[in-house]
Amino acid sequence: MDRVNVGLAKRYRKERRFRLFGLAAIIASLLFLVLLLGSITSKGWTAFQQTQILLDVYFDPLALDVKNLATANYASLVNHAVQVLFPQVESREDKRRLGKLISSGAAFDLQKMVINNPELIGTNQALWVVAKDEVDMFAKGYIPRNVPESERRVSDKQIAWIDQLAAAGRLKKRFNTTFFQAGDSREPELAGIRGAVMGSMFTLIVTLALAFPIGVAAAVYLEEFAPKNRWTDLIEVNVNNLAAIPSIVFGLLGLAVFLNFMNLPRSASLVGGLVLTLMTLPTIIIASRASLKSVPPSIREAALGIGASKMQTISHHILPLALPGMMTGTIIGMARALGETAPLLMIGMVAFIVDVPHSFSDPATVLPVQIYLWADSPERAFVERTSAAIMVLLFILLLMNGAAVFLRNKFERRW
Amino acid sequence: MGSGEIGSPCITGATMPPLLLVTLVFTLSALAYWQGRRRAFALMVRPAAVKMHSRPGYYGMLTALWCALPALAIVIVWQLAAEPLLTSLAMKGLTAARDHLSPDQQGLLINDLRNLVAGNATGREIDPLLQAAADRYIGMHQVSNMALAVVALATAVIAAYLVQARINPELRARNQVERAIEILLSLCSTLAVFITIGIVLSVLFESLRFFQKIPFFDFLFGLQWSPQMAMRADQAGSSGSFGAIPVLAGTFLISGIAMAIAVPLGLMSAVYLSEYAGPKSRTIIKPLLEILAGIPTVVYGFFAALIVAPWIRNAGLTFGLSVSSESALAAGLVMGIMIIPFVSSLSDDVINAVPQSLRDGSYALGATRSETIKQVILPAALPGIVGSILLAVSRAIGETMIVVMAAGLAANLTLNPLQAVTTVTVQIVTLLVGDQEFDSPKTLAAFALGMLLFVVTLVLNVIALYVVRKYREEYE
Amino acid sequence: MQKIGYTLAAASLMLASAATTTMATEGRDYISMVGSGTVYPFAAAVAEQFGKTSKFKTPKIEATGTGGGMKLFCAGAGVDTPDITNASRQMKKSEMEACEKNGVTEVVEVRVGYDGIVFANSKKAAPMQLSRKDIYLALAKQVPSPAGGDKLVANPYKTWKDVNPALPANKIEVFGPAPISGTRDAFTELVMDNGCETFPFIKAMEKSDAKQFKAVCQTLREDGGYVEAGDNYNLIVQKLETSPASMGIFGFSYLDQNGDKVQGSMIDGSIPTFENIASGKYVVSRPLFFYVKKAHVGVVPGINEYIAEFTSDRAWGKEGYLAEKGLIPAPAEERKANAEIAKSLKPMVMK
Repeated sequence: MDRVNVGLAKRYRKERRFRLFGLAAIIASLLFLVLLLGSITSKGWTAFQQTQILLDVYFDPLALDVKNLATANYASLVNHAVQVLFPQVESREDKRRLGKLISSGAAFDLQKMVINNPELIGTNQALWVVAKDEVDMFAKGYIPRNVPESERRVSDKQIAWIDQLAAAGRLKKRFNTTFFQAGDSREPELAGIRGAVMGSMFTLIVTLALAFPIGVAAAVYLEEFAPKNRWTDLIEVNVNNLAAIPSIVFGLLGLAVFLNFMNLPRSASLVGGLVLTLMTLPTIIIASRASLKSVPPSIREAALGIGASKMQTISHHILPLALPGMMTGTIIGMARALGETAPLLMIGMVAFIVDVPHSFSDPATVLPVQIYLWADSPERAFVERTSAAIMVLLFILLLMNGAAVFLRNKFERRW
Repeated sequence: MGSGEIGSPCITGATMPPLLLVTLVFTLSALAYWQGRRRAFALMVRPAAVKMHSRPGYYGMLTALWCALPALAIVIVWQLAAEPLLTSLAMKGLTAARDHLSPDQQGLLINDLRNLVAGNATGREIDPLLQAAADRYIGMHQVSNMALAVVALATAVIAAYLVQARINPELRARNQVERAIEILLSLCSTLAVFITIGIVLSVLFESLRFFQKIPFFDFLFGLQWSPQMAMRADQAGSSGSFGAIPVLAGTFLISGIAMAIAVPLGLMSAVYLSEYAGPKSRTIIKPLLEILAGIPTVVYGFFAALIVAPWIRNAGLTFGLSVSSESALAAGLVMGIMIIPFVSSLSDDVINAVPQSLRDGSYALGATRSETIKQVILPAALPGIVGSILLAVSRAIGETMIVVMAAGLAANLTLNPLQAVTTVTVQIVTLLVGDQEFDSPKTLAAFALGMLLFVVTLVLNVIALYVVRKYREEYE
Repeated sequence: MQKIGYTLAAASLMLASAATTTMATEGRDYISMVGSGTVYPFAAAVAEQFGKTSKFKTPKIEATGTGGGMKLFCAGAGVDTPDITNASRQMKKSEMEACEKNGVTEVVEVRVGYDGIVFANSKKAAPMQLSRKDIYLALAKQVPSPAGGDKLVANPYKTWKDVNPALPANKIEVFGPAPISGTRDAFTELVMDNGCETFPFIKAMEKSDAKQFKAVCQTLREDGGYVEAGDNYNLIVQKLETSPASMGIFGFSYLDQNGDKVQGSMIDGSIPTFENIASGKYVVSRPLFFYVKKAHVGVVPGINEYIAEFTSDRAWGKEGYLAEKGLIPAPAEERKANAEIAKSLKPMVMK
């Protein structure tokens, strides 16, 4: 007994250390998660606000006296409005720099206003227009004041003007609606995720419409009808392997078959949806099989007992009971498809596309690819927007996974 | 071959686009369904009310199937056969006059014909014979489309009528309908097999073309990877060496770093969750770890490129080490974080499956918890844990976005994690985004790399799944 | 079974709606552009402007590199091939031949302005003063033996100091474009060729064995000194930021837009500025082009109008929005001549 007691204290210490390792491992993993989400949020939350400048714009009838209102020189109206606020600025260089405080999108906003309401010609309007991305970055504090001028994107003179505007209450940060309404753009202050979100939506619709019926049908056949022989064993191994293949290989398949062989249009949501269907199909098949397996045999036998045929048993009794599990699996598969980037890079959804897609064959991009493209742009403002786009993507995924968990908890029955 | 011109564009007029035709067939079959069902009902409620074999809906379904399937088959076969047939008929007048042309030149003629038909201006002098042929083609195509519409719709209507007329109490409609549905289901399941075959074939085909240009052993064992060859004859590019060893080395280096992080953290988390944690903490912690798995890899890539890599570089500088801005360490670290949930949840399942009797026996002998885990449970669960590690390795090797954004582009044969290396997936992306010519060794090299990746991950998966499954059986 | 009936009806409705949407979009109604990554920012700016001020759809642009763009452009005349390709060098004779072989016969060449190629590094490091000879010795695969004489050896230089004792002792690491890029072609012709011609025996080779001359002067080292970064110049700028000892090769517009992070090196006595490039004092500059398939004009809507926008003074003029993005405008007469060519769609003739 003594011999046992001698080593006991050491063994207890080892026990505590081991337990602490386990706890430390979990805490470290969760810490990484917090670090990841935290750093992205800290970089991105400022993107939801946009610096805007209040201008008094005079819709000069002389400038707008053209046949086609769309091609009139709205930029001159904007420049004029800014110069009015700074009468002391005289040299041409300085006037140009003054105009650079305002985004080029302001001219388009004016264009839209005039085309919609030609009554505005000749009137004076006080309008909030979007500031250029450098002004935005400066106002949010990303461009420091105290570095030499050559290392800054805003010159000293521009800083003086910005301070003047702010003091006069003409420079404010307001909610960034452009981010949610606009498509991609080369100007960061005009870039938005709407095009990418619509593209993702179209792609996911195609994926869902194809993968869900085929996946469920395949699962039903494999689970209920297929004879248990080597061939079906092979199919099962096959499906399990497909689920674990790197997604980029599906991209290669899409490139070789859909683009090269079938000549489908590049960059269309249709092709993206097809590639993602191939990728999601195994996941849905596996999840559906699992939920079909979980329905107890007693239900099956009861149905058969009162005279139903096999098909009727499945369609009237088993499928409805297995449906929540199938839908959970499908939602999780869709969430995975939403976050996929690599296979879509291969089939050409990396073009610069400004218009928001309206049909399945319009060129489009998806949200993760948009994030990838923006991550390459060096403008500081794009870093902010990329992080914000990531936040939106994570939020959508959170909703989808939450829906899956909710469905699972509400409808799944434990036999 | 005909490049899938189902429904050639720009041919307007009194033709019916095939998609519209298919929709019409579907509508007709819906009508046939109602009709068949009504007839079955009629039979049932006649004064001599008869007991039908199946429920009325099945008769309707049978009618609908007979209406739709033959008509659709006709449409598909017609579409596939029409284009080559029409082309050859239209070219008949021409080839007689140009028999001496080589197949290449004839191919060009056919291409011109197609362009004319599609309304593309070729910009060249349009040969009047060719124009005549094109006009002939357009005419025949219109006629063919109309004929197709007539035949298909007629088949649909006639078939529906015939079947409906044959509806009687002895007709075993349900059996026939169910058999048809069963066939449809089995077709869907074979689609999964076709996907695999498709992947293997397409990747294999292009890879074989690659190996015709570059010897297989040069690819597999070569030590130089500079694929950016000259685009044109009068350009000087890289030497075009396609030795895959540096790329593979980079892949294994980064995956190795990733596993070095994921395995300890994942395994210990799994152990803690299954052995030490109470049920309440389990329900909170497990989903949180799953979140790590659900974050898209492009987000990880962004995190790695923008935050982790500069941090490591700065840390390295303070220690006086020269760290590349795209060090393998940065990419590997973030990849490891991504893989933690894979290792942890799979190991968790496996550890839970170890029978309680083993644990009880160990405690009965006086072992502490950690001793039980280290000496009884982990050895028992080892095959399953190894399986889960293999699956995680396969995931790490196939990962693309994190390495594309955080790892380097130059193939570098090194074991130093502070240097930049490139991986198989990065090279696939670099070689294929942009230049799409399927003839140059450069593009084909991407497919060869893809095949390599596919084979390696397949082997790993097969072994892992086999081990995990075998392990599950042992204790059941 | 009733449900099946409803399902059939629903399926037909769905198909009908899908049919109408795809029917409506038979035939491409947006301009498809490929080509140079250097011209890409300018083309994208024009495309955006064009999309917003006209009723046409915004063109789709992909940066594939000049060489890659030429390949796609010349692959055929059908509607599934690009309409316009951007190029940071002139189309070569072999590419023209490939075009004609595949049925693309009338190509309109429009010269849109000039661009300098800069050899840049991060502002955190000291600016470099280089000669073209230095660059050749640093980057070529084969260089004249340091011992002297007419022999060529594999490049032994590891740091810039090895090449020229006046330069800092940084490791030679240069990020630059791959052979698909027109910038690469222009760089090798303007810098490497010039640098290696300073060696008389190589210069003699130019006349005696042109192919060997090209191989010696234009083949770049593959041992890590020169890293090919595809056509993604933004990525190169980012890499320079994080590794101050490295250098990068890209067009002047990227230097201009990121002037707070990177600086251009002095080459043969002049630094890359707007004025120096426009005046020709900075020697490494070349014209930029785009090429249009005449056969597609009229088939794909909007091409004429897009070209008109690009060739308007508002875009490519001295005060235009492209100049603000770093394009060096061509002299006024050249602009006028090219605008004429663009308007009349005069096909180019290969000399």
